[in-house]
Formats: sequence, C-alpha cells, structure tokens
Amino acid sequence: MYETQRALASPVRNPRMATVIGRLLGAAFLICFGTGLYSHFLQEPLDWMRFPTRPEFLYQVTQGTHIITGIACFPLLLAKLYIVFPNLFAYPPVRGLVHFLERASIALFVGASLVQITMGLLNTFQWYPWPFPFRQVHFALGWALIGLLVIHIGVKLPVITRYWSKGSLDSEHPEDAASVDRASDAEAVRLWGSSRPGGVTGRVLDYIDATPRTLTNSVSRRGFLTTVGVATTAVVALTAGQTFTPLNAVNLFGPRKKGIGQQGVPVNRTSEQAKVADAALAAGWTLTVAVAGTERSFTRSELLALPQTEVQLPIACVEGWSQMAHWRGVRLRDLADLLSADPDTSFRLISLEERGSFSKTEMGREYVRDPLTLVALELNGETLDLEHGYPARMIAPGRPGVLQTKWLSRIEAI
Amino acid sequence: MTTSKTGLNPPPAGILASTSRRMRNIRLALLGVGVLLLAWGAFVLFDSVRLTRIPGVALWIAAAIVLHDAILAPIVFAFGIALRRAGRRMTGTVIAIVQGAIVVGSIVSLIAVPTLVAKNFAPANPTVLPLNYGLNLAIFWLLLALVTVGLSAWAFLRWRSSAEAFPDDSGR
Repeated sequence: MYETQRALASPVRNPRMATVIGRLLGAAFLICFGTGLYSHFLQEPLDWMRFPTRPEFLYQVTQGTHIITGIACFPLLLAKLYIVFPNLFAYPPVRGLVHFLERASIALFVGASLVQITMGLLNTFQWYPWPFPFRQVHFALGWALIGLLVIHIGVKLPVITRYWSKGSLDSEHPEDAASVDRASDAEAVRLWGSSRPGGVTGRVLDYIDATPRTLTNSVSRRGFLTTVGVATTAVVALTAGQTFTPLNAVNLFGPRKKGIGQQGVPVNRTSEQAKVADAALAAGWTLTVAVAGTERSFTRSELLALPQTEVQLPIACVEGWSQMAHWRGVRLRDLADLLSADPDTSFRLISLEERGSFSKTEMGREYVRDPLTLVALELNGETLDLEHGYPARMIAPGRPGVLQTKWLSRIEAI
Repeated sequence: MTTSKTGLNPPPAGILASTSRRMRNIRLALLGVGVLLLAWGAFVLFDSVRLTRIPGVALWIAAAIVLHDAILAPIVFAFGIALRRAGRRMTGTVIAIVQGAIVVGSIVSLIAVPTLVAKNFAPANPTVLPLNYGLNLAIFWLLLALVTVGLSAWAFLRWRSSAEAFPDDSGR
C-alpha cells in the first residue's frame, strides 16, 4: 500500500492543491445546490412562498448557471479525485471506527457526486439509462451531497485552514513528494524488512522508479492548474451557448441550439408525446376561465378580439437551455379582471394534456398580476405552432418552461 | 527537521493550543450539520422514491466508485508513466503541454460522447441534440492538436536555445 502511494506521489498531489481545487469544487456544489433548490421550489412551492418576477430572465440565469456549473464540475471533480487518489491506498485501510466512518463518508461522497453530475448531464438531453426516477433522486442526492460536503469540510478543516493561503506549501513543504517517499520507505522497511517487495510488484515498481521525473515541481503544478483551467473553460464555453447568447457561435456540444425549432424556438414536450393534437386542433376548442363559481369560455377568435399585448420573454427550460422570443396575446390579468377575480387570487393552469406531471400546474398571484404574463396566441409574429402550445399557452416572466403550460384548456382560481 | 508520516511538519505547539478548542467546536458543528443534511437527503430519497428503486441508486453510486477508482484512475496513472518514459529526452514543459492537451481532449470528449450515443436512440424531438456532434468533436480534436503542436514547438525551441546557451543546465 505504501509502495502504491509512493508510486502515485506527484508534486500536484499535495494538500495545498487539494485545498485549491476543493474550494472551487465546493463553491460549484453550493451554486448547483442553491440554483437547484430555487428551481425545485418554483415547481413545488410551499404555501407561503412568493417569487420575484423581475428580472424576467431570472430563471434563465439561475438554471443556466445550474447546468453550466454542473458541467464545470466534471473537470473539477476529476482533478480533485486525481489529487487525492493516493489516499485510496491508505494503510492500514481502517484504523478504527472514526476512520472507517470518515472513509465511508468519502466513498459515498465520491460515488454520489459522480452519479449526480452524470445524471444531470444526461438529463439535459433527455436520456435516462438508470433504473430510478430522475427528479426525485437528483433532488435527494443534492441534499445528501451538501451534507457530505459539510461533513468533509468538518473532517478536513485543519488541513483546509493550514493550506488555505498561497505559499503555505512552499514555506513548510518544499519537497512534498520526496518526503512522502522517505516516510513510506521507512514504513516499507518496517513491513517487509526491505524498502521493496520482491517478485512482479517489485519489478513494476523498479520500472516506475527508473522512469525519470522530467517535470520540476513548479512546472508540474502550474501545468496541472492550467490544464484544469483550460478543461473547465472548454467544457463550459463549448456548451453554454445553449443559454448564453455570446457563446452561441461556439456551441459545439450543447444539447440544444438557439434558433433551432419551430418558429425559431426549441421544443421540450411535443404534441405527440402529450397526445394533444386532436383536441388542440379541434374546431370547438375554447379556453375556460373559472373564478369563484363563475365560468366563461373564450374561442380563439374571442381571445384575439380582446386587447393584445406584445412581450419579449425567454423560454427557459430546467434542462438549461433558453430562447428569447416575441410573444403576443392576452394579459392573464385582463382575463382575471373580466371575471372580477380578487387580485390576491392564484390560479391553476390546466392543459389539454391528460397525463404528464405538468398537465396541471399552479401560478402564484405575483405572476398572475404581472403585466408581462400572457395567454400567448402568437409567437415570433406567427400563429402559435402546435408544438409551442397552439391554440393558446402561458408565458410568464422568470418561470421554468415546464410551468409555461402549453395547449391551455382551463384556467381556474384557487 | 522532523517529518511526520504524511510528510508534513507539525505546526508550533502554541498555535495548536490557542486554536484547537475553537477548531474542535467548529468541526463538531460542521459534522453535526452535515449529518443532519445527509439524513434529510436520505429521508427525501426514501420518502419520494419507491423502495424497489432504491437498490438501483445504491448500485449506480457503487458502480461510479468502481468505474473511477478501479478503471479510470489506473488508466490515467499508467498513461502518465508511459508518457514519462517516452519523454526522457524532452523538456518538461513540452510533456506538460502534451499531457494537458490529452486531459483537456479527454474531458471534452467525456461531455461530448454521451450526446453521440444518445442521438442514436432517436431523441424525443428534432430540437433535442440537433447538432452533428461527431463532426464537432473531430473539429475540436483537430484544433486541439494544432494548438498543442504549436505550443510544444515553441516550448521546445525555447528549451533548445537555452540548453545551447547554458549547456551545464540542460534547460531543466
């Protein structure tokens, strides 16, 4: 085990580097957790919760950040694991109950982190190769990972504080790899009576030792940090264009592309998946608005005859893409006022879609009263495409796409 | 100079005494909060996911550990050794550049290859995975190779000229 650790020794595998990368990774996890929590509560608000409706691109930013940061976690997490990898071969493997718990928590932390970012990535292109539900497990793992992160910081706090500032390594630890070697040599002699086991293992280790260390410590460390920086920049820059317009031109690997889709807007759930085409295209379609026992139904031409409002609002999806678009339709506030709804009323939005987790959703009063919230009838200057929710859909500022109910059928006061 | 088993020198005793108590309290608080959050996560999992699906979650977490620790990390390690052997007669900077480029390419591929695979399963609609990811990945590797060759040549020439100027130092 010591031999393995020794063979793995490298100038970048030191506690200062673990602290440097660990800080970035920890910050990334916290950002993902915070933005993820925000997205979760937008979709499943507690009774007392109210949300800001401005800036109207708020959700585009929070969820875009969630996905971009999650993708950045790939190079950061792999770098962190690279740095601490020799610890896997700690000997003796378990020194007691506390040590066992520490190692078990780290194993869980590593495994759950890898699963979390992988399932998050695959979800962005709607690929679900695992035998469990995505949303619930991603949410539960989010809490567990933050718990494990806090535990990890608690366990490693002396190391973190000691190696927090620049220069802490060079001043007291100039030959880190060499000193690990010396220490493990002594242990090896104690264990095996010589500094080297015999047989195949010994020969492999001799081969490794015969390999010259061509990099000086500083080239090694700088090279490592540069590599992590470039890799992180690359994965972010080559995918973030799906939500961040300035990077649209270099969007090589984003699962969505701005402007690709009916009427220039990408589609998440199709009319075919939702099985709504017949009902949505039926001549007798009406939108029913119900407030406190009063109901009123509007045909599409009646809606078009009401005062029309034009807004610029993004569709921003939980999967991290977004698309700015030009919408035209009736203010929800105006419809509510036609039925003399109380300004404090929240509404339930019901789609023609009969199944699906978002076929019925609720909209808090802050969105109902917002002048930008429309029952949209047109998109980018044309009649709303069936895939975008024809005959009528919701569009409101700062909400996730799944709550911008398509193929509206009924809007009722709660 | 004493060297502990981890190769670290212990901090002076005075600092330890004055900070150890505060440090211990903070650590205990962190551990307590962390355990509560972890327990809450476990509760959320068991509360929202059917019991028959939980082993699948555990299996994936275990598989991720095995995949990284037993497959990915040893490959990276072997690769590092091989590159070190191959690079005996090369300046360290060039090796660092080549190593870095391979790592950057591998990580970008790690993000890009799943899109290729998922695209084969007929995405939910034509606006999901609309790009030619295979071509994009090839272009990316090509550009990366060009940049790497350029940077390496620059570093090599600089190393050689400094080796000629200071033959005793051989540039490292």
